[in-house]
Amino acid sequence: MAAVAGIGLAGLALAACGGGTSNNSGSNSTNASEVKIGACTPQSALYPGNTNEVCGGTVLDATTAKLVHYNVDTSEPENDIAQSITTSDNQHFDIKIKPDYKFSDGTTVKAENFVNAWNWAANCKNGQANSYFYTPIKGYADLQTDNGECKTAPKTDKMSGLNVKSDTEFTITTTEKVSNLPTRLGYIAFAPLPDSFFKNADARKKQEKIPVGAGPFKVVSNTTTDIVVQKNPYYAGPYKPHVDKVDFKIYTDPEAAYNDVLSNNLDFTGTMDPIPNDQLTNDQWKSDLADRWGQKDSSVFGYLNFSPIDKQLTGPSNLKLRQAISMSINRPLIIKQIFANSYSPATSWVSPVVEGYKAGACGENCTYNPAKAKQLYQESGGYNGTLTLTYNADGGHKAWCEAVASEVSQNLGIKVVAKPTPDFKTLLDSLDKKEISGMFRNGWVMDYPSIENYLAPIYGTGADSNYSGYSSEAFDHQLQVAAAADTGAPADAAYQKAEAILAKDFPTAPLWFQKTSYGWSDNVTNVKVDAFQQVDLSAIELKKS
Amino acid sequence: MGRYIIRRLLQMIPVVIGTTFLIYAMVFGLGDPAKGRCGERPCPPAYIAKFNAEYNLDKPLVVQYVLYLGKLLHGDLGTNFYGNQVSQELIARYPITIKLTIIAILFELVIGVAAGVLAGIRKNGFVDNLVLVSTLVVVSIPIFVIGALAQLVFGVKLGWFPVTASEGTIGQLILPGLVLGSLSVAYVARLTRTSLVENLRADYVRTARAKGLSRGRTVGVHTLRNSLIPVITYVGADVGALMGGAIVTERIFNVNGIGNFIYRSIYQHDGQSVVGAVTILVLVFLLVNLIVDILYGVLDPRIASD
Repeated sequence: MAAVAGIGLAGLALAACGGGTSNNSGSNSTNASEVKIGACTPQSALYPGNTNEVCGGTVLDATTAKLVHYNVDTSEPENDIAQSITTSDNQHFDIKIKPDYKFSDGTTVKAENFVNAWNWAANCKNGQANSYFYTPIKGYADLQTDNGECKTAPKTDKMSGLNVKSDTEFTITTTEKVSNLPTRLGYIAFAPLPDSFFKNADARKKQEKIPVGAGPFKVVSNTTTDIVVQKNPYYAGPYKPHVDKVDFKIYTDPEAAYNDVLSNNLDFTGTMDPIPNDQLTNDQWKSDLADRWGQKDSSVFGYLNFSPIDKQLTGPSNLKLRQAISMSINRPLIIKQIFANSYSPATSWVSPVVEGYKAGACGENCTYNPAKAKQLYQESGGYNGTLTLTYNADGGHKAWCEAVASEVSQNLGIKVVAKPTPDFKTLLDSLDKKEISGMFRNGWVMDYPSIENYLAPIYGTGADSNYSGYSSEAFDHQLQVAAAADTGAPADAAYQKAEAILAKDFPTAPLWFQKTSYGWSDNVTNVKVDAFQQVDLSAIELKKS
Repeated sequence: MGRYIIRRLLQMIPVVIGTTFLIYAMVFGLGDPAKGRCGERPCPPAYIAKFNAEYNLDKPLVVQYVLYLGKLLHGDLGTNFYGNQVSQELIARYPITIKLTIIAILFELVIGVAAGVLAGIRKNGFVDNLVLVSTLVVVSIPIFVIGALAQLVFGVKLGWFPVTASEGTIGQLILPGLVLGSLSVAYVARLTRTSLVENLRADYVRTARAKGLSRGRTVGVHTLRNSLIPVITYVGADVGALMGGAIVTERIFNVNGIGNFIYRSIYQHDGQSVVGAVTILVLVFLLVNLIVDILYGVLDPRIASD
């Protein structure tokens, strides 16, 4: 999945009761206001510039505050630390911050805490996984050497596009127009870091396990079996939690977490530990959990890619073959039989959870039509040899890839084989080495809620997640037009035009959007999940007895 | 005896080096562990370079391994990708797995031997057939089925036992311990029975009976003691197997022991943890086997060690 870092903690609807302790009710909880959340082990150090997966992302999101916060229900950006973000040309941004935010170590959040954090993470010698996100900022290139490999140290350690005006104001200048920059600023990589982080290497080493942020919680202990966070006493934002303590209990088997929720030993599962598929089948989980389950649209998007090295599949001359393949897949049937209805069929390249989503953008190509598929296939000139569908075996893709292969094979009358690689890194490796022909699976999780995030990184010429090798001048130009347009409806309309170009060229076949299925215990109430598949720790509260 | 032990210990050195190299090569020799750590996005080159330098992955495999071995000799198992000392992780988790193993072994010995004796003294009787059939059932069901079923029935539905054992208290570990020991219980029962039946036919038993010794005393003192030699050997060797074999059981019950740690590390591609944990497991296995071999000679002096 894509860089799934954190986002979306709190709900807006928490005006009342700023985190007072609730009365005890949970028969199993020892502390009056502690909730236990099923979790998984973070993959690497908990730095905002480095964490890009859901296990670490959830913890880091609870402990950091950003300029912008995404609404849990709508994914709309709303100002958090930012007092205001203004621009007149989509290229020069002026940011004023609220003066009363504090880090969990008691120090005040100042403008330079943002600028220093971004400069540090963008600097190639610090090798941060999220450094990609600072690319639009002017001067980013000066912090990269040797094509990004960083064998020699960069001459400067500051991006020229960042300027501190005062303790509460700074400016960002970008190399090109970026209409959705304010939306991007809610991504975890744009969180501020405290002065103590920059003191020395030892301090940083400490913060990779016990991060210091300005969020509603602070980490008190962090092992590979438990991560415990407590209310941050200095927290000044609007997303105040109702519980004093959250215990992220790490499970290796989602079934164990599910059974613990069933027995009220655990208060929440479904985001970091998914509900097991055999429980979803026939809605078993809905009857088991009675009224303590929920399902919510997530940003996860699955699609079928056509290998850029396969000359029989790519390019304008093979458009009909690609359309035929897409049309021969019965999406609703596979979703029902394999995903137990926890997905919805895709009719566009952009997820319904973002503003600017346009249902049906894919047109009839995403609708099952075996007769038309067969006809298009015959007109296309066919496919010689065996068509392969490559997937990584470590991601649970076997069943649906085999189903897709068998449908394409049956409906078009060609030989299609689903072919596994041992794991995801091997799949990426083989793609890099141009060893995979035929089709392969892809997925995408948005980084920030913007229609742009579903288009530019995946289909822009030379974009780093552009595995289809798609390159279109018209599309690239339309992206630029959209980036220069006014935020909101004008930009969205421009991006929809770009999506329409995709529909015409059909470089990939959209398959489905995932829903998050989750369950909770009898001890808690007000359980919400956002589009980033994260549970809202500020909203959740213990039931009053 | 002393020379025997020293020889065995020396023999371990090539075994440890060989097995750890195989594990190391399997974990780090295939593909680039730094890739695939940035979701669907390719990782930035600087990230990959820094990651590889930190774990010596930019050097040839043999060099990497020698560097690893050098650290191992100083008792340093390295740091995993999450920044934890692998040795600290193991120290935190071994007590839990040892507790789990002890519960399984006690279960094996008490229930297994009792069932075996009851079956053996009434050969072909009802109890004998019951033991034979029920052990056959247990042996033929995979452990993950037994575990999941036990968790669902006794944990979730009936609520007799905690569903998971995240904290690793004795109370929580009883059900997983029973599940872990269930396979060996069947073997112990069958081994005890067979061995007892054979010994009951031995000349010295007939002599003892002819001299007027009670049946209980012949079975309980004279026969059982001899019959237990193969059983004890089996149980001894099983200690090592249980410690490694807890992977499935610990995962089902979320026991934070060695097995779960190894599973998690493999699943999350945390190579440093996998190599460290398995290296220690190899050592435990070798040491337990040595102790069993020595004890074998102590139990039955006819079997000389050297």
